[in-house]
Amino acid sequence: MDARILLIEDDPSIREITAIGLRAAGFEVDTAADGAAGLERWRRAAPDLVLLDVMLPRMDGLEVCREIRRESTTPVVMLTARGDTIDVVVGLEAGADDYVKKPFEMPELVARVRAALRRTRGSDPSAAAAPVPFGPISIDLAGRSVSRDGREIPLTRTEFDLLVELTQRPGQVLSRDQLLDRVWGYDYLGDSRLVDVAIGRLRSKIEADPVNPQLILTVRGSGYKAARP
Amino acid sequence: MRGLRTRLAVALVALVVVTVVTIGVGTYLFVDARLRVSLLADAQRQAQFNLSILVPERMPSGVTRAALEDDGLTDAFRLRGDVEAIIDFRDGELPHVSNLSLLRTLDDIPASVRAGVEAGRLGYAWMAAAGKPSLVVGGRYGQGPDFYFVFPAESIEASAEQLRLGLIAAALIAIVLALATSRVIARGILRPVDSGSAVAARIAAGDLSARVPTGGADEFARYAAEFNRMADSLTSTVARLEASERQNQRFVADVSHELRTPLTALVAEASVIEAGLDDLPPGSRRAAELLVADVRRLRLLVDDLMELSRFDARAEHVEAAALEPVDLGSTVRSIVASRLPSAELRIPHEPVVVDADVRRLDRIVGNILDNARHHAPDSAVVVEVLVEPPIALVRVADRGPGVAPEALPHLFDRFYKADASRTRGSSGLGLAIAAEHAALLGGRLMAENRDGGGLAVTLSLPVTRSLPPGHSPDTLADQPAGRSDTAPASGKPARPAP
Repeated sequence: MDARILLIEDDPSIREITAIGLRAAGFEVDTAADGAAGLERWRRAAPDLVLLDVMLPRMDGLEVCREIRRESTTPVVMLTARGDTIDVVVGLEAGADDYVKKPFEMPELVARVRAALRRTRGSDPSAAAAPVPFGPISIDLAGRSVSRDGREIPLTRTEFDLLVELTQRPGQVLSRDQLLDRVWGYDYLGDSRLVDVAIGRLRSKIEADPVNPQLILTVRGSGYKAARP
Repeated sequence: MRGLRTRLAVALVALVVVTVVTIGVGTYLFVDARLRVSLLADAQRQAQFNLSILVPERMPSGVTRAALEDDGLTDAFRLRGDVEAIIDFRDGELPHVSNLSLLRTLDDIPASVRAGVEAGRLGYAWMAAAGKPSLVVGGRYGQGPDFYFVFPAESIEASAEQLRLGLIAAALIAIVLALATSRVIARGILRPVDSGSAVAARIAAGDLSARVPTGGADEFARYAAEFNRMADSLTSTVARLEASERQNQRFVADVSHELRTPLTALVAEASVIEAGLDDLPPGSRRAAELLVADVRRLRLLVDDLMELSRFDARAEHVEAAALEPVDLGSTVRSIVASRLPSAELRIPHEPVVVDADVRRLDRIVGNILDNARHHAPDSAVVVEVLVEPPIALVRVADRGPGVAPEALPHLFDRFYKADASRTRGSSGLGLAIAAEHAALLGGRLMAENRDGGGLAVTLSLPVTRSLPPGHSPDTLADQPAGRSDTAPASGKPARPAP
């Protein structure tokens, strides 16, 4: 795998050993020591994935994440110091695709990075060529894009995969654990907030009224389902 | 009721009663005696006059029955002061009387009076004569008959009676006044006491700003001032303690943050070293293995400490959104599969549904399993899910050495080491953390030694309801309803095939 990763982390030891571990796993690694430099680097190098520390000097990780989201759907995996609710939820709401809690062992980090990259492997050549309609929007599986009234809706790869996972089985309830397994690649006890925040972001992009969703429905106590056409 | 009010009223009334009775009885006795003394003196003077002047004058030739019948001497006595007379001739005959109703009175006159008369003196007695209170004064007339003059004493009795009634009325009024006064005094004394109790109750309920109203210069003003000073000192002590606790929590949080960064580097470094162990020369290799294991242990300890410090800072709470109906059976199956796959599982056929947070359940049951794994290595572990409405139980029983009975109550204490040699590989915080999570879910942990050896740790949780089959949440999907399952868990955790 020759994916290029941008690692933005202020602590030199963590930055260096993480880079070493990622390179040993076959990635190409670029590093930055603060938020502003990281954003600068991201603009120039256009990496396949960004590993982003939350607490950064000059510009904090959340701000960097929001900046990246403004311009692109590059997957972002946050490195959070604590598993705190606030940190995690705010990070996910800033547009992060996944997070890894510090401290982490390299195999764990590599697994999360691979899972995030798998979602971005680009178009699926076996997918149907014609866009699939889903309510007022249409989903182009081959081109991995979603549009409403001919105008493209910018979805991150995670949001797109989540939408596809749900719309492939309209009316069928998928639990948070099932979605974590199929979209994020967690095989046991992922953080269900990943699903809830991503669903929230997805709704805010595709629903006419995100507070009163018509396309992606919540099933209390069970999970989510896509509305039947 | 033995309140201050009652005691004050009782004391005041008793005092008034004693005072009134003493003064009343004294007054009564004094007045009675004075009246009697003056009546007696008059009576004696009258008797003396009668005997020495009136009788000789009217009967110069001596007193005889026949003379008395004609003379009207007794009328003369009566005229001089409403006095009746009994004249005893000591001849065994009935006496001569001024009034027939006095005929038998002579027998009632005390012997002492008659003896005095016999000796030539005047004798007297207070007695009932013809049914009326009277003063009888007797004296001998020369060698002649004995004269007994009967003076009415009814006026004394009447005065005494009036005095008695007056005194009783005065006593009753005094007692009523005493009761009223005691109430007024009690209210005056107790008002500050009552306000003091009210303020103390508010302080006890947590309102540290409550103060007793001050003012006045009596003892209660001093009491109020002292009370308020105590409240001030309590407030400042609590504030100091709170500040120091906040400082402590901040310290723990700071330490956690400061530790977290080098620990993150250490953990990542150790994991890279671990991946390259095979390339190391034999001498360094063993050291590297130990390093990796110790870093892992350090991480476990710091993670557990951080988790507990969040409980202490009350940063851990259950959000309603995180609580979902969970089938305890399949959840426990998943946890056992990932933590201790060798354990034997006993799960009921029916789903056991509790409102819980799966991650907390994982922490609780996982930590109990870790405890069993560390303290009873290689022993058979049985994990059982039981329902005893309205609670559900998860019981993890091992066949290890168990725990000394005196150590059982401390099993969920932090860093409690029932056996110093048995804590290798665990932080000593796992069960304490499990207990904290259990409490957040409304459940609790219990530990007991098993018959035949070994320790059983039981989690109890409230059951919310049973799910009707067919509406099972996805967590049940891999367990067909009605299937008995006592086989050891194995393979991957419960998860539906994609």
